[in-house]
Order: sequence, then structure tokens, then C-alpha cells
Amino acid sequence: MADDLRRWSDELAHDPASLAFLPLGEALRRQGQHEHALRVTLRGLERHPHLADAHDLLARICVDRGELERAFDEWDMTLRLAPEHAGALKGLAFVCYQQGRFPEAEAWLQRAAQGEAADAGIGAALETVRRSTGALHASDVAAAEAAYDPHDPRALFADSLDGDDQTAILLDPGGMVLGGLYLTESGRDVAPEIGAALSGVSDEASRATRHLGIGAWTSIVFETESAAVAMAPTVQDGLLVVAASRATPLGHLRRLLARCVARAAAWLGGTA
Amino acid sequence: MSGSPFAEMLGALTRQRGVVASLVVDEHEGMIVDAILQFGQDGDRIAALAASLYRKARQSAHAAGLGGVHFLQMDAEQGRLCMAGRNALVLVVATSPNANVGLVRVEMLRAVEGLA
Repeated sequence: MADDLRRWSDELAHDPASLAFLPLGEALRRQGQHEHALRVTLRGLERHPHLADAHDLLARICVDRGELERAFDEWDMTLRLAPEHAGALKGLAFVCYQQGRFPEAEAWLQRAAQGEAADAGIGAALETVRRSTGALHASDVAAAEAAYDPHDPRALFADSLDGDDQTAILLDPGGMVLGGLYLTESGRDVAPEIGAALSGVSDEASRATRHLGIGAWTSIVFETESAAVAMAPTVQDGLLVVAASRATPLGHLRRLLARCVARAAAWLGGTA
Repeated sequence: MSGSPFAEMLGALTRQRGVVASLVVDEHEGMIVDAILQFGQDGDRIAALAASLYRKARQSAHAAGLGGVHFLQMDAEQGRLCMAGRNALVLVVATSPNANVGLVRVEMLRAVEGLA
């Protein structure tokens, strides 16, 4: 991936009108480098203002930054340029879903399902939207996200969580988000902020247990006013964080943690 | 460290089965305010690391909009570190694997009311 980033950067430096900004911006977005991805994409759009995929990419970056209104506008622009753009249709459904506008989300998804680029995920998303009752749950949102991009790492734990008000994120040793998402009630993904706050926690836990002579740390659980949070180390020195409502028994939270750790290990093993 | 307002609280916790150390730590400075330790334990280092862990948990909870952290438990292969905080002070208890962590938790949450 580092080689690809360098190659695309070099290509853009050599030819600023190159379309290499699209894969470069997408790769940076997936790595959580949202500001960098935004700059690259905006520069690309200056050269290619009528490129639908560029507006689609900008919209997804906006979602990562919690800017749902702006994302909606960009996907709307995408559809003006390419009326059947599947990514834009699913993206608009995603924004509407996030904002609790379920009938509109369903309409966008139905339109996406009629297109040539329809995939199995759209059906699952439609089902999720139709099940919705007005209460926005993290697991439903994750399912909807998986539908709008089945390979999106943010939906990594959608199948591992089994109840409402549960969420999980996977962090690298530096606190960068590798997968999963953590949505606030307003629909903003705060996983990067949580990752930043927890950066280095594995090292400190290891040092603490070493000084106490109690072996390697296996989990950390903390209870807050509104949630219970559990963490565990993963392969490649990563950190898995699972959060659930306070009503979730701690024993069940630990089982969820173990399940998500196994999911992360399989995913990291597959992507290593 | 006799005569400290926390001595009685720490003494009661240390009498729990499996508790090997108990400390009151300044969350921001990571310094020991009072402690009951076993011979050879490096209390300063435990205090600093425990305070840092607790602070990180609190900051991440704040980032997620989850409110304040009441209780934190770190499990290791051969023991546990439990923490409860209030008023920028953190009560830290180290236990062996045979400790009744449920009872320790209840005692800590009760004791932490006395942190001021």
C-alpha cells in the first residue's frame, strides 16, 4: 500500500491533471487520514469539477468527517453528473438513514436496487431500513454502512455484534482506526477521537502488568455513566474496543469482546 | 503513611482476600497520595501507570460522550488492577487471581465516595 501511495503521489506531482487523485484520496480515507484525503480530492476536483467519482469520493470523506449535510450535497452533485451512480444512491440512502429519514433512505435504496450495479448488500440495507422504527442503533447503522460499501472496514464488526447499542472499533498501535466505527447519537463517527485518546494504552497496560509481575494483560473493562467498554490486545499489536449499554451484563460484554477479537484477527490475518 | 485520611479506607481494602496493594493516586500527576504496599513493590511506578490508564479511559469515554468513568478493571494472566476515581483522585487496588473481584469492586465503589 505504501508503494501505491508513493506511486500515485509521484504521478500527481508529475501530472497534476492525472486521475491518480482518486485512488490516492480513497486510500488515504481508508487509512483514516481524512484531512490529507480531503486536500488531495479538492485539488483533483479543481481540475475535474465534472467527474462524478470525484464528488462521490468527496462525499465519503465528508461522512468520515461527520459532515453529513455536505456529503448529501456532494452525492446530489454526483447524481446530477451520473444519474445512476450506485455509490451516490447508496450514499444518499446512508445519510437519510443516519438522519432518521427512513422513507427517503428506502426510496434511494430502491432506486439503487433497480440499477445495473445493484449488489446483494442493497437488499440487506433495504431490510434494515424497513425494520427501523425511528430509534437509531449502532448495529443497524453498521449494517446499513456495510450495504453502502460491503468492503468498508467500518462495517468490520457488523456481523459480530448481536444487539442494539453495541459497537466496536479496531485500532493500530498508534491509535489509528483500522476498522469499525463509533457513532454518537448525532450520527458522527468519533472512532478517531477515541483512538487518539487510547493511543499507547496497550504499552502502558503492558508496563503496569510487568511491574506488578502479573503476566501479560488480557483485557480492560471500564464502566461509565452510560456504557460499559471493554478492550483487548489483538494480533499485530492492535487494540480492540467494544462498547455496549450499561444494561449489558459484563460477562456478555466479555463474550462480545472475544468474538470481535477473533473477527479482527481473521481480518488482520487476511489483510496482512 | 499513617495519619492520612485514606489510611482506614486503604486498610479495609487491603484486608480483602487477594488484595496485594492499594493506593490513592493523584490522577493528573500520577503521584501517590497514600498507599499500602507489600515489601518490594514499586508504588511510584504503579501509581504513574495506573493514573495514566485511568486518564486514557476517561478521555476516551469523554470523546465518545459516555460520561465519567466509574470503575476500571485490567485483567492479566496472574492478577488484576482495579481503579475507581473521584475528584481527580484514583483509588487503585492490585489483586491476585484468587481475589473476589466482585466484592472488591463493591468495596471500591463504596470507598471512592470518601475520596475528596
